[in-house]
Amino acid sequence: MAVSRRWLVGLIALLLVLSLYPAGASGQGAVKLTFWSWRVEDKWAYDRMIRVFQQRNPGIAVEFVPFRATEYNTILSSALTAGKGPDIIHLRAYGGLETFTAPGFIAPLDFETVPELKTFSRTILEGAKGRKDGKIYGVPFASQTIVIYYNKKIFAQHSLTVPKTWDEFLALMKTLKDKGVLPLANGGKDGWTLEVLSGAIAPNFYGGTAFFDAVTRGQTSFKDPTYTSALARLLELRPYMHANFMGVDYATMQQLFISEQAAMFIGGSWEIGFFRAQNRNLDFDVFAAPPLKAGQTPWVSSFNDGNYGINAKTPSMEAALKFIRFTATREFGQMFTDMLAQNSAVPGVVIKDPVLKRVQELNRKATPYIMLVGFRWQAPTGSTLLQSALQAMMAGTKTPEQVGDEVTRGLSVWVDSFRGR
Amino acid sequence: MSAPPAWGGTERGGPARLRGWSPATQAVLLANAVLVLAPMVIMGLSAFKSTREIFQNPFGLPEVWRLENFSKVWVEAHFALYFRNSLIVTAASVAIILAFGAMAGYALGRFRFGGGDFLYLYFLSGLMLPVRLGIIPLFILMRDLRLLDTLWSLILIYAASGLPSAVFILTGFFRTLPGDLDSAARIDGAGEWLIFRRIMLPLVRPALVIVAVYNLIPVWNDFFFPLVFIQSDRLKTLPLGMTAFFGQYYTDWATLFAGLTLAAVPVVALYVLLSQHFIRGLTAGAVKG
Amino acid sequence: MSGSTRSADARPRAGLSVHTGRRLWLVFFLAPATVLFAVFITYPILSALAFSVYGWEGIGRRGFVGLQNFARLFSTYPYSGLLVNAFWHNAVVFVITMLLQNVVALALALLLARGPWGTRLYRVIFFLPVTLSLIIVGFLWALFLNPVFGIVNTLLVASGLSALARPWLGDPQTALLTLTLINAWRWLGFPTIVFLAGINAVPDEYIEAARIDGASEWAVTRHVIFPLLAPAVTIIVLLTFIGSFNWFELPYVVQGVSGGPNRSTDVLSLFFYRMAFGEVDTGLQDIGIGSAVAVLMFLLLVSVSAAAAVFLRRREVELA
Repeated sequence: MAVSRRWLVGLIALLLVLSLYPAGASGQGAVKLTFWSWRVEDKWAYDRMIRVFQQRNPGIAVEFVPFRATEYNTILSSALTAGKGPDIIHLRAYGGLETFTAPGFIAPLDFETVPELKTFSRTILEGAKGRKDGKIYGVPFASQTIVIYYNKKIFAQHSLTVPKTWDEFLALMKTLKDKGVLPLANGGKDGWTLEVLSGAIAPNFYGGTAFFDAVTRGQTSFKDPTYTSALARLLELRPYMHANFMGVDYATMQQLFISEQAAMFIGGSWEIGFFRAQNRNLDFDVFAAPPLKAGQTPWVSSFNDGNYGINAKTPSMEAALKFIRFTATREFGQMFTDMLAQNSAVPGVVIKDPVLKRVQELNRKATPYIMLVGFRWQAPTGSTLLQSALQAMMAGTKTPEQVGDEVTRGLSVWVDSFRGR
Repeated sequence: MSAPPAWGGTERGGPARLRGWSPATQAVLLANAVLVLAPMVIMGLSAFKSTREIFQNPFGLPEVWRLENFSKVWVEAHFALYFRNSLIVTAASVAIILAFGAMAGYALGRFRFGGGDFLYLYFLSGLMLPVRLGIIPLFILMRDLRLLDTLWSLILIYAASGLPSAVFILTGFFRTLPGDLDSAARIDGAGEWLIFRRIMLPLVRPALVIVAVYNLIPVWNDFFFPLVFIQSDRLKTLPLGMTAFFGQYYTDWATLFAGLTLAAVPVVALYVLLSQHFIRGLTAGAVKG
Repeated sequence: MSGSTRSADARPRAGLSVHTGRRLWLVFFLAPATVLFAVFITYPILSALAFSVYGWEGIGRRGFVGLQNFARLFSTYPYSGLLVNAFWHNAVVFVITMLLQNVVALALALLLARGPWGTRLYRVIFFLPVTLSLIIVGFLWALFLNPVFGIVNTLLVASGLSALARPWLGDPQTALLTLTLINAWRWLGFPTIVFLAGINAVPDEYIEAARIDGASEWAVTRHVIFPLLAPAVTIIVLLTFIGSFNWFELPYVVQGVSGGPNRSTDVLSLFFYRMAFGEVDTGLQDIGIGSAVAVLMFLLLVSVSAAAAVFLRRREVELA
């Protein structure tokens, strides 16, 4: 019958076609390293930096392969569990790193193998260490800070200046709203953007690093009225966000600010390069969320954004180490900051971008981004609990006290000091 | 119900089952058609607009029909390459599903034997389980079979996951064929394979079309397995290639819409071509299970 | 029993299966599908289920822990609440889909069965969304429902219904319903076509007989067509059930893996995925819990589907 014969022919043809494509590469001579990351947007910059490395190290070829951030973990987990995976791995920091280092999938580094690490700031290196054994597992690549972006043109149009106190901030937003300008681009659909929001606003109200130390040492919990009253401040921002802000997701938030439909955007320092790329004419700057009283220097939340690590099972450890050391050099850090307008973790990098410079100044009073740095070590993480609770709070179905309650209760599974509070 | 399979129905020009349609009927059907088509038309039109225009003039025709959106997708997103890969994977998977599914359906539908019911239920169990659950063991399996980062890893998984529905539908169809169909051939000494190929198979052609269409849609559109198994760019399939756009161009709606439209066109076109056969096949008794 | 029963279901009698040659042929016909399915579906899923009885440290497997993961899943906060929440959402999705999508599909099929102008065209059009990738569908509708840029709210405001212009996907109270409606938009054509095929398969004689007896169109529909649609309905109900409890791609694409906002669109598959692979920027994986969820899903789906399959077979035998 013609039908089944056609199948057979088709099948054979396909087999022939497929057989023309051998699986996997067979490189001789040059050592080939694969470098996985979730930074799809930064591929162009990494390719350039890799080219510099390759010129210096003729026997080594590096291929940067980015994956979508939302699936990166899945792909990396599957690959590492199966004993495969890349040679150089772009890893998260703190708990997100621990997930891979605790079972031994990442090669530990130290000051002997990577002497450049000695110059890195101790705070940043905390995010590159495994909590279980305290060893360093990667070279930190960037530090991020949470700030408030503002559109200078809109501010000038309405004769507004950077607010020095919380009340000034609210008054400023009211003025904008009365004049028909959307004050804040932020929304609540993506839970993590609400955590970022709290990272900008709350520290000034809960006392910054003092509270962080107290809560990580078990002297208090998130039920502490100091913390919950800080969260309550987020509710005061609601009238100044879009009327349907609960439906505004991250991409829409960015669009609103970039297209100058919103005057301010509360977010992380990683946005600088993106804003510039999307709208060259956008005249913007940043300020820190203001404290309650005048005269105090405001806190900003900051954290290690991630690290470059080496797969423990890589067949080319020597080459991989060479590349890792390259990422810890000032030259790499300088290229990174120049091209991507992000704060490289490498010390001594000269920042040319004016907004990023301002971020660096604000960073002088940095406090750890509380959930990421202190409470993402095990599941359920502080972030996961806080994000959905904040969504409920901002939607009006939970009180800040209930948020503190939920977070503390959920964390008590693995934070012993929270039990029985 | 001992009626022979209803191959015809209104397909072959018979009278409509029910009588009397009014302007109200037309209105309802038209409204649904609009509801169904409008989003797709908007997607198609937006593919020709600039990003700004998409937001400012969402419903209207493009001021300028920008073909550069499509050329950008074609070139930068390696559309041709991904299209070819999707084609290979989909065609091979569907071919295997049809071949193995028909063979199994024939055996289960025409012969009673110990364990037959169990096997049937065994295949059915695959209908309800998301293969996603087994992703980590699957990855390890593919590694051990040295199929990682090859198109075969995709083909085999898709073929395996399409078998339950194929067996379900084809067994049903084979069962409805008259019992004495093959006795004449057997008396003449024809072998099993010949009976299968030349007598049974042609009679279930509508079922084959249904199985083919039913499976090629999810296989073509799947992005999860290529995401996990394919790392080389030259082997990526279309949906995977498109998702990379999310990271790179997530505010470049114009290019994004062009990409989405281009990715939708093949299956939509194929369905439109096959729709008559597909619907005829469904009418021909698939609903009897 | 001789092979003389010439009904549509006749098969060669049991005695023939003893014949070795026939046996070999059976194996030949069944083997490829069985082996392929066993190796690439059954084995991985069973392995993944087996993960649930081990302890995990990040992505590294540790020792055997018996039912500890299940105990944690059922008794620890927040997992117990999340499990019930997710399961409840699956159930809600099933009910709403049955009531909205499938009833509307039946109504449309009944209308199409009257053969109005454009029936053939409508049949093709209605099925079109089923061919679209869920990424396209999810993304398109997320854009349409965007409270700032979306055309749905623009339309509502323009037609004076601005009270309805809400953040459909962002409000915990409307998000799940909205997603279910998007899902219905995408799938509606499928049950419509299946029902239509079922209606068209009803033999002419029965309908004519009822008409001769003076039955109205509605009576014909109720008393002749509906009973004979039973197999189609059963299939659609079963597929809807399986689809509702396996629901993953659409909520994943539109709402993300956290099933937000505030877990209002969390379903079992998302919960599993989150626990097995973690959430970017948010949560860590807990493979033990994830595998436990997988086992529960497996048990639920298998038991309901097995019961349904047995029911289907019995029904078939009755009707034959």
